[in-house]
Amino acid sequence: MTQLATGQQWARQAWAQLAGAPSAVARQVRDAAQTTPGRLRLYLVLVVVLGSLAGVSAVVGLARRSGSVDDVATRSGPLAVQAQQLYRSLSDADATAAAAFLTSGVEPAQLRERYLDDIAAASAALAASASTGTEQAQVQQLAAGLPVYTGLVETARTLNRLNNPLGAAYLREASTFMREQLLPAAEELYRAATTRLADDRSSAAAFPWLTVALLLAVGWALVVTQLFLARRTQRLLNRGLAVASAATLVLALWVLGSWIAVTVDLHRSDRDGSAQVQAIAQARVLALQARADEALTLVARGSGGQFEQDFQERMAALADAGGALDVASARATDPAVTRALDEAKAAAQTWRAGHTEVREADDGGDYPAAVTIAVTDPTRNSAAFTTVDASLQQAIAVAGAAFTENADDAGSGLTFAAVVWALLAVVAVAGAVLGIQQRLAEYR
Amino acid sequence: MRLRPVVLTTLLAAVTLSACGTEVPPPSQPPRAVLPLPAGVQDPAHPPTPDAGGDDSCDARASLRPRGALPAPGQMPAGSTMAAIVQRGRLRVGVDQNTYLFGYRNAGTGEIEGFDVDMARAVAAAIFGDPNRIQLVAITSAQRIPFLADGTVDLVVDTMTMNCDRWQQVNFSSQYYDARQDVLVPASSPAKTVDDLAGQKVCAADGSTSIQKIAAHPAGLRPVAVLDWTDCLVLLQQGQVAAISTDDTILAGMQAEDPTTRMLGADLGAEPYGMAMSAQADDFTRFVNAVLERLRADGSWTALHEKWHLGGSSTPPPARYRD
Repeated sequence: MTQLATGQQWARQAWAQLAGAPSAVARQVRDAAQTTPGRLRLYLVLVVVLGSLAGVSAVVGLARRSGSVDDVATRSGPLAVQAQQLYRSLSDADATAAAAFLTSGVEPAQLRERYLDDIAAASAALAASASTGTEQAQVQQLAAGLPVYTGLVETARTLNRLNNPLGAAYLREASTFMREQLLPAAEELYRAATTRLADDRSSAAAFPWLTVALLLAVGWALVVTQLFLARRTQRLLNRGLAVASAATLVLALWVLGSWIAVTVDLHRSDRDGSAQVQAIAQARVLALQARADEALTLVARGSGGQFEQDFQERMAALADAGGALDVASARATDPAVTRALDEAKAAAQTWRAGHTEVREADDGGDYPAAVTIAVTDPTRNSAAFTTVDASLQQAIAVAGAAFTENADDAGSGLTFAAVVWALLAVVAVAGAVLGIQQRLAEYR
Repeated sequence: MRLRPVVLTTLLAAVTLSACGTEVPPPSQPPRAVLPLPAGVQDPAHPPTPDAGGDDSCDARASLRPRGALPAPGQMPAGSTMAAIVQRGRLRVGVDQNTYLFGYRNAGTGEIEGFDVDMARAVAAAIFGDPNRIQLVAITSAQRIPFLADGTVDLVVDTMTMNCDRWQQVNFSSQYYDARQDVLVPASSPAKTVDDLAGQKVCAADGSTSIQKIAAHPAGLRPVAVLDWTDCLVLLQQGQVAAISTDDTILAGMQAEDPTTRMLGADLGAEPYGMAMSAQADDFTRFVNAVLERLRADGSWTALHEKWHLGGSSTPPPARYRD
């Protein structure tokens, strides 16, 4: 009870003091500024407060930046890669299943293997996407849908082996499910991942306005203090304040330098890395869709006009002058990427010529020949498509490595910098305190 | 000290819980499976209703009478539709690749085969002397008439019901098969008659006569339309429709594909099959009818009926002509 009463009393007093504070403080400050020691004390407070704030702001800002860079390198960057991989694997599984259907009897071992590898890669990419903890809605939709898809494909496969025509219907249903449910979800995941990557990148490269402003203010306070002292004491150099000024300058330059370095590295990670990966991935998706369309035209057997139209549109978007392959080439900065893209371009032209033969054969009534050129003959369109896909995979790997390297570079040294920046801020504040105290002592 | 947050949290929780009495928030819904659907499913479907009395406006089974003997293969009369086909080098035929035993893709060989396909080959043989001078174009039920109209195919042999509506747009050959519409349900279904399926989903192909009859049935069935017949069986197996209703011939094929189904034996009307050709090709219609006369007479029809184990009567339906 007594304690409580005392507490209440104290609170009431403090409140009274605070209420009258503004005018009292202003008066005290005005009075103090009239005398030299008073003025010095004022500068001391100013430098200590501004210096501490600048130090805290620099270190906190750096921690934030480091966090964003880390997100780019370990979360949104990899998520974008995984989402791309996921989309690619799913559409390749679709194209492969359609091609396998065209071959009579039991499907060839290499097509089966390719399909299984696609599903394995898709599952792995899905697991990796899930572990980034983002875009959970799409990840869950895909995780729930993938086993449904594989179930349909296996049902189709079993029925095909039993020579039951129902197998074709299950395969069509699987393909529809893939195209209408899973691929759109994967595409959305990819889009969300690239948006997140861009957001993380821009927040990692944000200019440290607050820190720079505070450091400028500290610098200004130090200069004013030193000018004042130089006038009053006839001594040009105060060692403490000089050290404080030097520390502040180093800190300011380092903050700017660090910002520039991170920004440049992140820009490179985009230009040499993710922007290229995006352009190449787009070309790859077009190639995969065109491949599925080519197979589906033959599955539809004469009534696949829509698929043929889709094929022509996608092939044009891929391989025409100014198409996706050219766009990717224009962005390429690494000769290895350019080389891989050139290979892909050459193979795409071969494929296109082969497809013209497929259509001629099918339209001319020679369906078996059309299937042979398109799917069964391993040296024809299958080979050309595989080359396109593998070259683009190669190009993506190179560009992806450039991304990882630059994103890692952007994050390197930031922890060390944080420690040193904190020390520099302490040195600046301590130097100022010591330097000013020394002068103040002379007035006692 | 460590205990304080725990105690506080517990207290807070106790207060919150007592505030809403004994009610515990319901657990979040467990995720539900996403059911796959075949491409182009219409649920419910809105098929066009045939004009009232349209079915009786003509004798749908009657075609054009053949004139004289069949010309020798490869020797088609100059300027005829058949001569143009000979000129092209192959007969283009629209067939189904999803109707077991009539027109379906043999997964073992990749070839489309069946009773309908053999019928089409007989026409090719009469034109060229070679049943393989044929290009099979796989079509859906809804594509049959448009593909004839735009000349994509010369002939459609695809379990196509002859009716007066369609006679307005295409020519039919004489009847080459006699089917009746029936209903297929899972063997475990409690349904015994069509009326037991009231309010339930019944599947048929888009653009077929079957889907129109389902929609018009007095029992109040809910029509679901798909692109291909086998899509119906997929939906039935996945429990997404209660029944399939179409020609007994097609249903028999489905029963062969899935023995865990049974037919109700409901007779929803006759479905006479005719081959269809362009409405302008009267000469070709007469030619095909002559081919059919020969198939009926020389036992080929019966042999094919047996080859595909079609069941039912092994004598071909008689030809009727309108002129």
